[in-house]
Amino acid sequence: MSRFSRRDFLMTTAGAALASRLSGPAFAATEAPKRGGTLLATWGGFEPQSLFVPPGGGSSPYFTSTKVIERLVRLTVDLKFEPVLAVDIKPAEDFRSYLIKLREGVTWHDGQPFTADDVVFNVLEYWKPISAGVSLDALDSAEAVDPLTVLLKFKAPVPEFFLKSVLAGKSGLVIPKHIYAGSNIITNPINNTPIGTGPFKVKEWVRGSHVEYLRNEKYWNPSLPYLDRLVIRWWQDPASRSAAFEANQLDIGVFNPVPMPDVPRLTSGGKFIAETKGYSNSAWITTIEFNQRRDIFKKREVRQALMQAIDRQFISDTIFFGRAHPSIGAIPSSNAIFFTKDVQDYPFDPKKAAKMLDGAGYPVKSGSRFGLNLVSAGWFEENVKIGQYLKQAFEDIDITVDLAVPDRATSLKRIYSDYDYDVAVSNNSGSIELIPSTTQYYTTDGIVKGAAFRNATGYSNPKLDEIVAKMAVETDEPKRIALGKDFDRLVALEAPLLPMVDLEPVTIARSDVRNHSTTADFMGESWAELWLDR
Amino acid sequence: MRRIVLRRLAQIIPLVLAVIVLNFVLIHLAPGSLFDVMTSEQQITDPAMLDQLRHTYGVDQPTGVQLAKYIWSVMRLDLGFSYRQNAPVLDVIMDQLPATLILMLAAIAVALVIGMTAGVLASVRVNTIWDNLISLAAVFFFAAPSFWLGIMMVVLFSVKLGWFPVGGMRTIGVNNGVIGDALDVMHHLVLPATALGLFYAATYARVMRASMLEVFRLDFVRTARAKGLSRARVVLVHVMRNALLPIVTLLGLQLGTILGGSVVIESVFSWPGIGSLLFDSVMSRNFPMVLGVLVLGSLLVAVANAAVDLAYLRLDPRIRAR
Amino acid sequence: MLPRTIDFARRFARNRAAVVGLLLVILVIGIALAAPWIYPRNPLRIVGRPEIWPFVNSRFPLGTDSLGRDIAAMIAYGARTTLLIGLCASITATLIGITVGAAAAYFGGWIDEMLMRFTELFQTIPNLIFVLTIVAILGQKLEYVTIAVGVVTWTPIARLTRAEFLSLRDREFVQACRAMGMSNLRIMFGEILPNALPPVIVLSSLVIAGAVLFESAVSFLGLGDPNVSSWGRLIGDGRTLIRTSWYICAVPGLAIMLTVLALNLVGDGLNDALNPKLRDR
Repeated sequence: MSRFSRRDFLMTTAGAALASRLSGPAFAATEAPKRGGTLLATWGGFEPQSLFVPPGGGSSPYFTSTKVIERLVRLTVDLKFEPVLAVDIKPAEDFRSYLIKLREGVTWHDGQPFTADDVVFNVLEYWKPISAGVSLDALDSAEAVDPLTVLLKFKAPVPEFFLKSVLAGKSGLVIPKHIYAGSNIITNPINNTPIGTGPFKVKEWVRGSHVEYLRNEKYWNPSLPYLDRLVIRWWQDPASRSAAFEANQLDIGVFNPVPMPDVPRLTSGGKFIAETKGYSNSAWITTIEFNQRRDIFKKREVRQALMQAIDRQFISDTIFFGRAHPSIGAIPSSNAIFFTKDVQDYPFDPKKAAKMLDGAGYPVKSGSRFGLNLVSAGWFEENVKIGQYLKQAFEDIDITVDLAVPDRATSLKRIYSDYDYDVAVSNNSGSIELIPSTTQYYTTDGIVKGAAFRNATGYSNPKLDEIVAKMAVETDEPKRIALGKDFDRLVALEAPLLPMVDLEPVTIARSDVRNHSTTADFMGESWAELWLDR
Repeated sequence: MRRIVLRRLAQIIPLVLAVIVLNFVLIHLAPGSLFDVMTSEQQITDPAMLDQLRHTYGVDQPTGVQLAKYIWSVMRLDLGFSYRQNAPVLDVIMDQLPATLILMLAAIAVALVIGMTAGVLASVRVNTIWDNLISLAAVFFFAAPSFWLGIMMVVLFSVKLGWFPVGGMRTIGVNNGVIGDALDVMHHLVLPATALGLFYAATYARVMRASMLEVFRLDFVRTARAKGLSRARVVLVHVMRNALLPIVTLLGLQLGTILGGSVVIESVFSWPGIGSLLFDSVMSRNFPMVLGVLVLGSLLVAVANAAVDLAYLRLDPRIRAR
Repeated sequence: MLPRTIDFARRFARNRAAVVGLLLVILVIGIALAAPWIYPRNPLRIVGRPEIWPFVNSRFPLGTDSLGRDIAAMIAYGARTTLLIGLCASITATLIGITVGAAAAYFGGWIDEMLMRFTELFQTIPNLIFVLTIVAILGQKLEYVTIAVGVVTWTPIARLTRAEFLSLRDREFVQACRAMGMSNLRIMFGEILPNALPPVIVLSSLVIAGAVLFESAVSFLGLGDPNVSSWGRLIGDGRTLIRTSWYICAVPGLAIMLTVLALNLVGDGLNDALNPKLRDR
């Protein structure tokens, strides 16, 4: 994974990838895609608050907006960047500036041309202040060199993989300048019927039910999209989605659409397939966090002991019905670039845990070592069960546990604003790139009271901060990967917060839906290449 | 009479104000504000951005100011703006209200038709096997939680027998014209409306039976029979009309409960109505939305109650109007 | 006193359904009380393989849930939760209801007006949403669920008390008490209340049933107390498995239904035994 190989790849595949877009990577050689048809889709969650939520807004608006609004590049399942609205992104020798070449002949849904001005507007007015946050801290300026070229300048060297990750990530959506300029991007009413350059146009959103998209006849790639119509519909519970599949009312569902026990039943007949690819750039984990503001958890041995008291195989097998596996270190195993096995591991061993607690100065006194408040964030159904299991697991090593499973609002407040917990169960979805989505859980500058999904434990370690700071400016890929692994080793040893299990989200699709799950974050892909073999 | 009507309507205004204040205070007491939920859903972590949003959402103002502003805008028939949905509250509510109204009306229809039929049948055939069976069914449905009934009906009628859809309101992607669409909605409506309505059907059956029996014993029924009117005519025209009064009272009182019940039923059947909107809004502290629904809901119930009171006033002069 | 009690018992026993109901209620109370002896360990403990069907394994007569917890143990402990919440919520509701209703009817005028508006206020707000809001604000604890349910169920009691008081207020015996110069409080609670109480008691017993249903709905939606076993939560947990293991939903639902049914039957029996109109029939 050297810098050169990736860059070479990007340059040489600029054309090749375009070709592959026509036929599609998965079934390229064997079948010619068919045009037409309506695809009925869903995901394993609720309706979004708005079809497009500029600052992010979680998975649901991300799912609905990305069919309409595109990015400059995308990341494939085998972790290669492919051109979308940008045909080339080239760093200068010192990595302090990047030249972005844009695609020709792209128009917005309302007929206006897409130009370098749009990208400059996005970089300065949307990405830096609203969506990308600290990721673009080093940005100095953005200017249009010509109508199809943008020059980005940075105050410090910016690693190529990092920048492309930002552009291919959740914060890199490209919105039209002529619609948003001069308005408040976040509250602009157009967000309910977003306009982009993508393969689908919003036709109608029936709140509480579904959103319907129609084929963009003037898409920059004239042979795409294959579908005539796309409908994303929402159900409130997984069992209903399962029934909808069987009733032919649903063709594809991403991110665990159905109850896990239903998966074998659905797929056994051959009518449906279960696909686990397409989630590596949005890797979900369930974490356990130890509040460092409590004296008990300032001791590393206590944190490590508690990790060893948890049977994570049980959580994976029983609570997630096998659709998860015990985590190793802080970086999910699906991260093919930074994952390492060479970290402190915490196998299930309650006896050793008890011994460690004895040694740390917390022997059993009248039936209990100490009491703790366990807050399990109630936004996932599984967290309720995990909370109940952890209560039992900790009680087995004579710790008294008071469990709370608050609703979403209260969980956020207790964990990330008030720090009102001793041990918390939470979740996060990390990208392949570690900065900032993974690192901000551990670094000192990740401690921001009231900002959710950051360092809520209060853990602060100058050594760790230094590793991350080095990583942010290291442009040599192998050296950068080594730093990432150093980061993982230190975090795993210290255990202020660790993933308990890596989730393995699954996509359920009818077997006649072709060419899906080809990118590293399939849910947030435009779905232009999907076609129906009917 | 007109003066009483006007006064009754005037009483609704302070009621609505009280609903606003009570709920506003409650929601502000809750840990985790709308702002926390919004920013975390949007994964905004930049402090400067957080401040800007605080200003946009108006949460940087004192609670009292926020309340005063809200009451002022409600007076101008503006229920505020929901930043979560990025749309005016009234628009969002109006989008989802029809689905809930359809569900509520269907449930009430189920309740009235089944309940009254059963009640009349039981009272006419009092102390027979029919009466006992109806009473038994009534206690059964009066005791079963509606959400559980719903789930069990899904297991039986959707999963095992496949007669009805598991959830939702329409079959997506099918265009059958207006009549086909209406039939489709009705097909989806059967299970949720029945699950929600059976509880009230059980109530009405019991009440109907009791009040029918009471009316049967009154003098005018005897007179009517003595006049030689047919039994069916006496039952339907004379007795039933008089026995309806308690049902009307109950219905007026239960509107709020039915709206509450629809939250659970909508969650069981993925019905795209106001119940799920309200549940989501409570969970996310989206108080403009919660208040909007509650203000509209309270208006509805208040008007219904006033109507019932007025009906009573006319029918029973013994209750003094003051 | 004794003959009256016997008389009451005889009238109650005349309603055979009520006797069945009473036996059922006693059974549920018995299970609730005996739970710690039958199942000495925490009922929320994982004790076996997940999703064992009822009547398959004699160790788990009602099977296990999706985590491998003993459903029978959870049902037994759930009975404690259910009865406790039902009873306490009903007492709360009755106290509030009688106070508000009695004061409104007795004093009339603007007090009546105010109190009835207050009652209407609580009737106006969709009750379940109100419970959810209160629980969301106070926290997911047993006592808060109880308070929340009490706060939304008192209105019918207040209305009934007011109606009973209104019909009694102008009776001769009350006028006589007034003429004798008795204090308001004494007339209200000493003279009128005992006469108004029978239907109120019947309604209170029905409020227990209603409270049980409320608690189950709150737990079903995932807002109950996670530290205690609850029938409603069990249904909510089992919901995703209705295709493969629908018994997880069915069993606790039956428990709720039988308990509510029994409470209703007892309420009917009380009604028969206390309602003077039926006494002479």
